[in-house]
Amino acid sequence: MSTVEPAVTRDQWGTKLGFLLAAIGSAIGLGNIWRYPYVVYENGGGAFLIPYFVALATAGLPILILEYSLGHRFRQGAPAVFHSINPRWEWLGWWQAAISFVICTYYVVILGWCLSFIYYSFGQQWGEDTGAFFIGEYLATSDGAAPTGFWNIGGIQLKVLIPMLVAWALIYYLMQRGVSKGIEMASRVLMPTLIVMLVLIVIRAVTLEGASEGLNVLLTPDFGALGDPGVWVAAYGQVFFSLSIAFSIMIAYSSYLPRKTDLSNSGLIVGLSNAGFEFLAAIGVFAALGFLAVQSDVAVGEVAQSGVVLAFIVFPQVISTLPGLNTVFGLLFFGSLFFAGITSMVSILECVVAAIREKFDLSRKVAVNWICGVAALLSILYVTRGGLFYLDTVDHFVNAYGLVVAGLLQVLLIVWVARTLDEQRAHLNATSYVQMGPWWTVSLKFITPVLLTFMIGWSIWEELKENYEGYPTSGLLFIGGGGVLLTLLVALTLSLNSRPPHDALVHAGKE
Amino acid sequence: MDTAAIIMLLVGAIGLWGGLVLAIISYNRASRREPQD
Repeated sequence: MSTVEPAVTRDQWGTKLGFLLAAIGSAIGLGNIWRYPYVVYENGGGAFLIPYFVALATAGLPILILEYSLGHRFRQGAPAVFHSINPRWEWLGWWQAAISFVICTYYVVILGWCLSFIYYSFGQQWGEDTGAFFIGEYLATSDGAAPTGFWNIGGIQLKVLIPMLVAWALIYYLMQRGVSKGIEMASRVLMPTLIVMLVLIVIRAVTLEGASEGLNVLLTPDFGALGDPGVWVAAYGQVFFSLSIAFSIMIAYSSYLPRKTDLSNSGLIVGLSNAGFEFLAAIGVFAALGFLAVQSDVAVGEVAQSGVVLAFIVFPQVISTLPGLNTVFGLLFFGSLFFAGITSMVSILECVVAAIREKFDLSRKVAVNWICGVAALLSILYVTRGGLFYLDTVDHFVNAYGLVVAGLLQVLLIVWVARTLDEQRAHLNATSYVQMGPWWTVSLKFITPVLLTFMIGWSIWEELKENYEGYPTSGLLFIGGGGVLLTLLVALTLSLNSRPPHDALVHAGKE
Repeated sequence: MDTAAIIMLLVGAIGLWGGLVLAIISYNRASRREPQD
């Protein structure tokens, strides 16, 4: 690695705080609000905190800090980093970038839904039957149960398309402005706002009648659940997906950091901010669910949901049932989802932009035009009547078989193939106040590979037991498996191009 | 709230938010010792 300082500096973060907020914004996404609370509830309640802490310490934080060290040491995007380590592994960086690109194509659709529901919050336009409104009226999802309606693509839903295009326009604007003026500027405004909004949501939720019922259900520990391997898989999965590991985001983000940066501490702050945020979100969500359960005279378990159903079907019910300030609560909730999502979305796009620019020596404008243009066209698939099925299927497969496998391969490459873990640790310790010691090495050498392999095996086992969500096998193989395979083929094709990823310094002047 | 739930609430709060506060203090201390770029 060259130690010569360039005449023209690479694109950099404006301030350390700006980087931290952007990295926290990347990690905090929709899953923190709509996935984590249900995972805790479903996997032993308060007892889940034990495997969660263990997973954070032995996999989440070590991999996150490893990614920081890779980006900071090589100062390039993932394909170029892996090319520098071993040219035959450049494809792995492209695979991560390709997976991130696919995720962008559907993530933006959900941001569009959030925008729509910000609008629908005025006067609670979703009416009494929120499920029928979201699935039937808003998405106009194909008639019939999933197996029969899956392939009924139907027409494009303008109600979904228009907000998605608005989201794309905002994302395009931020991406064109670049790292410091676009992503960092947005993060400096949106992240503090998001935290204030979440605190307001939690204060309102915990002061509602029935909130304690919800919190009891969320936090009462079932220590017997710790004997179930599925609970540990859930903890490692939650930590893995929540920290945006293996997207190659943190490699790109840390490549924009100045030479003298406390990487380990930055990683700890980002990881713990993300975990602290989702813990707070879980308190707010389950307090609100406790209120809904009491009002509806049902058990909390009957209204406890996750993902799309929680956000767009259950929460509108909560908002409509509130004794006052319903619209304000709706704006806070869907605004929080949108802010959490958009800071993650730009980070996912940025790692693709960095990779493409370095390979093809493109200016930011050209790279952003191509990437946003193609992604926007592909995202139209998800605003059709079958869009919800395709989104759900692609999301399931790229997460379970794309990100986790790519994350495992990344660790195996560094630790066991290229054997550069000691060099990475030396780089970290040379720049950081908190030194990476034996726990970091042991976690990455043994614990992380074993756990990620177990997670993959567990996912395959679950897949073979029954079709995911009852979707047809043809749909799962074509849309899900085919999607993952396509990302792999694109990655291999790009890495076959003999031109190595361009040194980042050459195109830095094209900003 | 049940006692067990309150205890786990405290465990989560101290573990996660307390850890975050410590990380921020450590970061600031390091910044003061060696000014970064």
